[in-house]
Amino acid sequence: MTTDSATLTEAPPPEETTEADAMAARLAEAGRAKRLNDRTRKILAYAILTLFVVIAIGPAFYLISPAFRDSVSLFTYPPEWIPSEPTLHNYRFLFSSTSYVRWAINTLIFAGCTTILTLITNSMAGYAFARLRFPGRNVLFFVILATLMVPVAAVLAPTYLTVNFIGDLPVIGDWIDIDTYLGLILPSAVSPLGVFMMRQFIETLPDGLYEAARLDGAGEWRIFTKIVLPLIKPALVVLGIFVFMLTWASYLWPLVAATGNDYRVLTVGIASLKGQFVTDWGVLAAASLLTIVPVTIIFLFFQKWFVQASMAGALKQ
Amino acid sequence: MTAVDAPGPAVAPDDWAAPSLSDAEYRWCARRYRFRTVRRAAGFLSPYLITWGVFLAIPVVWGIFLSFNQGGLIKGDPRVFVGFENWTRTVSDSELRTAVKNTSIYVVIAIAVVFTLAIFLASLLNHYKKGSNFYKVALYFPLLAPPILGAIMWFFMVNFDFGILNLLKRSVFGGDGVAFLGDNPHALLTIVAVEVWRGLGFWVLFYLAGLQSVPEELQAAARIDGAGKWRRFRRITVPTLRPLLLFALVIAVIFNFQLFDSVQVLTDGGPRLGTATVVWFIHKRLFKFQDTGLAYASSIGLLIVVLVLTGLSFWLLGKRRQRET
Repeated sequence: MTTDSATLTEAPPPEETTEADAMAARLAEAGRAKRLNDRTRKILAYAILTLFVVIAIGPAFYLISPAFRDSVSLFTYPPEWIPSEPTLHNYRFLFSSTSYVRWAINTLIFAGCTTILTLITNSMAGYAFARLRFPGRNVLFFVILATLMVPVAAVLAPTYLTVNFIGDLPVIGDWIDIDTYLGLILPSAVSPLGVFMMRQFIETLPDGLYEAARLDGAGEWRIFTKIVLPLIKPALVVLGIFVFMLTWASYLWPLVAATGNDYRVLTVGIASLKGQFVTDWGVLAAASLLTIVPVTIIFLFFQKWFVQASMAGALKQ
Repeated sequence: MTAVDAPGPAVAPDDWAAPSLSDAEYRWCARRYRFRTVRRAAGFLSPYLITWGVFLAIPVVWGIFLSFNQGGLIKGDPRVFVGFENWTRTVSDSELRTAVKNTSIYVVIAIAVVFTLAIFLASLLNHYKKGSNFYKVALYFPLLAPPILGAIMWFFMVNFDFGILNLLKRSVFGGDGVAFLGDNPHALLTIVAVEVWRGLGFWVLFYLAGLQSVPEELQAAARIDGAGKWRRFRRITVPTLRPLLLFALVIAVIFNFQLFDSVQVLTDGGPRLGTATVVWFIHKRLFKFQDTGLAYASSIGLLIVVLVLTGLSFWLLGKRRQRET
């Protein structure tokens, strides 16, 4: 805007040309200046965006070099970015001397079962709240929803004690206890977010569907499995990705609930590689890198779903 | 159902007779109907209700009770009822006070920085649409890794000997490196940086969604009326984002108040409690089995803070919806 007025005042029109020509020339001049200005702005904007992209993904790349080097060589100065003798020693150590594979399998079991369990229980409960009429429905829904934000840390001790208590019971205690898969999974599958999401989604399905099915003699269970579930598939995928991402990344509950090496998950395991005083940097980098790469590849394939899932957590309205 | 809806005479036909039920029969039918609806609902609800009840509802209630007790987490340390002692001590305990102070400082700085950057980047992406998909995906990347791994990446970045930040500092300014995690204001600021790095992509997408809901015509109309960039931002963008901003603020405070993972990995609360946070304090007191009573009480304190903030966010959301309709 300022450039416009500057060019207008500064270039007096030559006398030979007509008024209209002068006007056109001035406009063209102003347009050029504005375009130039726009282009610098654009370059600046993209430079800033690119800078932030570099900051966002840079740290992951900074792990690559240490992962293929001897930990000792990290400390040379000036730094040796490209290792003169790249080594797979760190990975060999990771697979032979730590339980990395076990942690990875545990993580898959933990996050996979939590996701499946959440999807089953939440879609059923969401259906009940959306479609069925029963006394106390709204009160119950409100009570459940009130626990939406309860932090893991706030109920850490009582949840631990609850799982411990169940562990002392006969029979069921063999399955649910501290240091069991179910003890790890069940307390991770309680968030009401999915129930809320499923209810909202099922409510939007047209009533005619249910009526038609009911006239055809279908019971509630049949309606749920044959009509509702196929229709809410997109919502289930979004919720599933969301829960899986949240669960496999969780740290505090697995740290407390799986103390033994047999049930340890990746987050806790990798954190344990970082020693209190001495750290084997190469192994730590190798383990972190090995964990991030598959997730990144999956993410690049399904990025649209991922982004939608992350938004679902905050923006569900 | 259909008989009522069908057009026709409002009176019942002659051959139709209402079933005559005695009061007792009527009550029996009603009860039977209610029982059926409850049974049907229970079938669908019980899987969730049981897990939720046992592993969330009961722990919340138990936690409130525990906040008046001491010990009881391990066999050798029996639970003792101590009344309000834990609660009075939450006010006076110096370690807890440091943790609350650190967490508050962290929350304020982190949210201020991440929101400013996110709104800035979102408006850039909103304006320069070409290639914005690539930038969105790339900025989202840090959220893929668990907080633990993000922290470990930065553990390499800020290392005193070979972290890139120190290498750059040494080659540009010379002199010694910075002990990012070993010195006191630095450590907390490093944690802030790590968490801002992690959350930025999310908030960029969040605000981008908000910005894209600003009607294009409004902007165009203002431009024609001669409103400059800043005026348009102040008078159109900010008012549209304001309800979203308040809601986001509350949510961000709730989540950031629970900072734990990166602290545990990077500094373990140190140096000299410089990065001790509330959740770190709770975890440490509980599972180092020392002074568990104070941890019980502060857990419930955390719960109360979060619930109040949640209530606030729902209220804001409700207000926003009211305005929209």
